[in-house]
Amino acid sequence: MATNTYLTNPVVTVNSVALTGFCTAADMSRVQESLDKTTFGESSRTYTSGLANNTCTMTLFLTYAAAETYATLKSLVGTQTTITLKATSAATSATNPLHTLTNAYLETLPVLSGSLGELQVIDIEFTGGTYTESTS
Amino acid sequence: MKYTVVSDLVGTPGEEYVPAEGINVEALLAGGFIKADKDNKKDPEE
Repeated sequence: MATNTYLTNPVVTVNSVALTGFCTAADMSRVQESLDKTTFGESSRTYTSGLANNTCTMTLFLTYAAAETYATLKSLVGTQTTITLKATSAATSATNPLHTLTNAYLETLPVLSGSLGELQVIDIEFTGGTYTESTS
Repeated sequence: MKYTVVSDLVGTPGEEYVPAEGINVEALLAGGFIKADKDNKKDPEE
């Protein structure tokens, strides 16, 4: 059965601040590093699971107004925080799971990024952290 | 230390803010999203 899922009103929080109204794209990926365990006598590479190295990227409009994007992010550079993403604003459930990355690290924050006559848009990336999924 | 919500982006303003695991409270304070409640109660033995 074909299914089309498109995002219109996902929930995005960074350090418990709801940034849904400033966010235009978000991507949280679970990454499990692969370790090569191929040995003599094998004709194909084989791998085993290593450390988790999760990532979360998001595209945000950058605003300097009180308690908005810049105020949310400026003190997080070089620190760890918690990020949550959910596909819709409906209640958390098995069909609308809440994805959480705890202790994710923000390395870089563009403090000014834009062109003449355009709204400032920034891309940020959180790396590492522990991934959990909640369905209730 | 107790905290109170200031911005509606983190909760209902005026309500107590209880940080979840991994939340950087200092960043929320610096950004003006929450405020720390001053505990003016004196030690009863004083």
